[in-house]
Amino acid sequence: MSLKVGITRFLGTNCDEDVRKWVLSKSATATYLWYEDQFNVKDYDMVIIPGGFSYGDYLRCGALAAQTPVMKSVKEFAQKEKPILGICNGFQILCESGLLPGALLANSEQRFKDQWVELEVKQNKNPFAKQTSNGQVLKLPIAHGMGNYYADSETLKKLSDQNQIWLTYKDNPNGALLNIAGITNEKHNICGLMPHPERANAPWMGSSDGAFFL
Amino acid sequence: MSTQNLEQKLKTYRLSDEEYKLMTGLLGREPQTVEWALFSALWSEHCSYKSSKIHLRKFSFRNEKTPEMDGENAGVVDLGFGERIAFKMESHNHPSFIEPVQGAATGVGGILRDIFTMGARPMMSANYLCFGEAEAPRMKELMRGVVKGISSYGNCVGVPTVTGQTNIHSKYNKNILVNALNVGYFGPGQKMALSNASGPGNLVVYVGAKTGRDGVHGASMASESFDENSEAKRPNVQIGDPFFEKLLIEACLEVLEKDYVVAMQDMGAAGLTSSSFEMASKGQVGLVIDLKKVPLRDSSMTAEDILLSESQERMLLVCAPKNFEPLQKTFKKWGLDAAILGEVQKNRKVKLMWGVEILTDMDPDLIVEKAPRYERPFNKWDFPRRTDRLTTPSNFNAKSWIDKALNNFKLNQFHWIHNQYDQRVGARTAAACDSAVAFARLDHSGRGLGLVVGCRPEVMMMDAEIGALDAVYYPAFQLAIKGAEALAVTDCLNYGNPQKLELMSEFVASVDAIAKASREINAPVISGNVSFYNETLGENIISTPATGLVGLRESVEDIIPDQFGSAFQSLVLVQMNWVESWVHVMAADEKISLFKQNVTCDVPQFIKRCAQMDQEFQKQNNFVTSIKAVGLGGIATTCLKMTTDLVGFDLSFDQVNTKSEDLFKDTFYGFILATEDLDTALDFLKKHFKGLAVDIKKIGETTDQKICLTKDAELDFKDFRNRFMKGL
Repeated sequence: MSLKVGITRFLGTNCDEDVRKWVLSKSATATYLWYEDQFNVKDYDMVIIPGGFSYGDYLRCGALAAQTPVMKSVKEFAQKEKPILGICNGFQILCESGLLPGALLANSEQRFKDQWVELEVKQNKNPFAKQTSNGQVLKLPIAHGMGNYYADSETLKKLSDQNQIWLTYKDNPNGALLNIAGITNEKHNICGLMPHPERANAPWMGSSDGAFFL
Repeated sequence: MSTQNLEQKLKTYRLSDEEYKLMTGLLGREPQTVEWALFSALWSEHCSYKSSKIHLRKFSFRNEKTPEMDGENAGVVDLGFGERIAFKMESHNHPSFIEPVQGAATGVGGILRDIFTMGARPMMSANYLCFGEAEAPRMKELMRGVVKGISSYGNCVGVPTVTGQTNIHSKYNKNILVNALNVGYFGPGQKMALSNASGPGNLVVYVGAKTGRDGVHGASMASESFDENSEAKRPNVQIGDPFFEKLLIEACLEVLEKDYVVAMQDMGAAGLTSSSFEMASKGQVGLVIDLKKVPLRDSSMTAEDILLSESQERMLLVCAPKNFEPLQKTFKKWGLDAAILGEVQKNRKVKLMWGVEILTDMDPDLIVEKAPRYERPFNKWDFPRRTDRLTTPSNFNAKSWIDKALNNFKLNQFHWIHNQYDQRVGARTAAACDSAVAFARLDHSGRGLGLVVGCRPEVMMMDAEIGALDAVYYPAFQLAIKGAEALAVTDCLNYGNPQKLELMSEFVASVDAIAKASREINAPVISGNVSFYNETLGENIISTPATGLVGLRESVEDIIPDQFGSAFQSLVLVQMNWVESWVHVMAADEKISLFKQNVTCDVPQFIKRCAQMDQEFQKQNNFVTSIKAVGLGGIATTCLKMTTDLVGFDLSFDQVNTKSEDLFKDTFYGFILATEDLDTALDFLKKHFKGLAVDIKKIGETTDQKICLTKDAELDFKDFRNRFMKGL
């Protein structure tokens, strides 16, 4: 039986189709989850919250999406310890929902930044890191204006101690504390990252390291 | 009307005496209040193309891949395998100079609507920018603002910006150019939407954002030169909302797919006026519209304000009455309103109502089809700067020249611009701003669609005919050396005041040249726009016919990059000598270059032969590791642009007898490739270009972090790279 993946869609989400293509390339099934509807958590094996500009990012990034009906179901899904991946704006939405600690602030240069980055895998315990090993270097693109990961020192210590830091930048592009590019929750089932694995799924895209995530 | 009143009216509505006579003649009476505004907008240069239309007919050439679209919003190319694209380029110069962030942002929004109003999904954006010198008043603010506007709008809408060109010249100090291009995609079976209203009794429906006061009289503003008071025109600039646009794209494509729509047109320049009159005129029908039903942001707006508002993210569509409810439901799903304004009628008149009051009731053709056409005077082009003997620039020093070019941003990677654009959203991008040619993967067939923008202002300054030929040849050549054959051209003709003889002469010479070049390479000019009056206080821009070319490559695999891959590879130059000059070196000193032309060179054949080369490289194990067209500033400048943080080059061994100024000489056209297997490369190239007048020779080698032009001109590698990559 193939993996059943749910992909959330908010007003303004713009990486939904990219994530769907990525999921389909792994022979999984992809179903869109509309923001106004709740879903049955039993129907899916995995939920991905794609990137983009939900609600135009006019309030804090992800703040409005976090208040939608579909996120109620995502929270229920999280409680069942099923795997959830938030990419870029999806990571921001997970933080705004309280499913992941910390927040994403404006890049240190106060500008949108699109570039390739090198990432180091810090822990491979989560469901999206199984095909990678600790210390492995991955090449993925970033494209964000607010990717500067911030948390208070207590939270940062907890993240380190509990092995929740998933990916770090080799050369920090946005001012993120501890060079954090991706984190997980304590149980390692909820994962968020700023780079876009779905945009690095074949050599012609510039890298195929994104294929390791699913 | 008293003479004084009439003069005042004509001034307010920017109409001439003759146009007034034509207007009263067509109506058979004096225009009524709101009619003045209608004629003013639709007869503006911006909407009517009154000075250019006669010449634009020269772009009528089509081939089997380019169907006649009869005045639709964008041109269409049939790519085979059931795939088609719509593409177009448009200017937003005047608003961007007044308010750079919003001006550039709404330029992107406007061109996107031209594409999705036809039912195509926007898949790649590009831009063509001309700025003045960095030290000119407001220029840094304008540069930062324009880039911010393009990035904030394009990134949010989720359409990647994959390529662009940035030019810097003092002639743009008082008039910058901001041209935006978009390509949209139709997959197999996807229907195309047209803009001709039809079916009496069908409803006229307004969708999208509410109407506000922004952009009122924008079209006539864009049809005028600037003066000291241009700052005061800020309220004429439209405000954009990319989030709204994203919702509008999704909602419009959904209602088109569900077949609820008879016709659709975006509200661009002159807003509701142009969309309603053009839809009626094109469909040979009439419309009844009640302006009181237009959703407003400001309830105190008058009928005239409503007609001329250029508020963004709005569309007008026609649907059968039975489809209105499901259509409205779809828009609601995407958080958007749909309001019925009126209906289509058999009687071929556009009747505008204000509640029960009739504001006008006239034949749309009077204002659309019967708009004035001017044959502005021009001279036949006679190549004023062509010469038989080219003199070399005197006292040329390579190192100080490069130093100056780096300082004034003329030699810059513009990385700081490109990395503010989301270049990969959509997950189709195979090559983006790092490469001279962008490629996106076509969803259905997996082939690569190449996109490149063209026109080199310095060459235009040297000669309008050569410059305009070059605006087609050079991008086609760039596509060719990456393995793509050019299919079609869009253009954005940016000029000064067409009422000046010398400028109109340049306009006509360049339109003729673009038409000629596009026929020769079999890539029809299928869409575009004209922007005249890029003039401030009598100072005009360089005539700048920006172009965008699309081309097709068999796949997106193994596209050879522009940049050097590793050290100790051989550099080979392949070059045809059609035009020779020192245009780039001279332009740096604000001088216009003479040029030498070899009329026997077969440029189109050379381009064709280049396009066939890429597949051979792939068959022979990719012995080429990087390839780039020789740009302005000759092989020296081109090699500088091919460097990376790890790899430089050395030309000094192979060019022992070459003077440094010759490394900067401009010769059209050539390319440089890097190879690990020099013998194979030379053998192949000699065979491949047999029978064509091209020079093929080794010019140097790549190095490990070293740049050496001649024995006396070695650059500090780190310093060069830092300054080349430096941003604003």
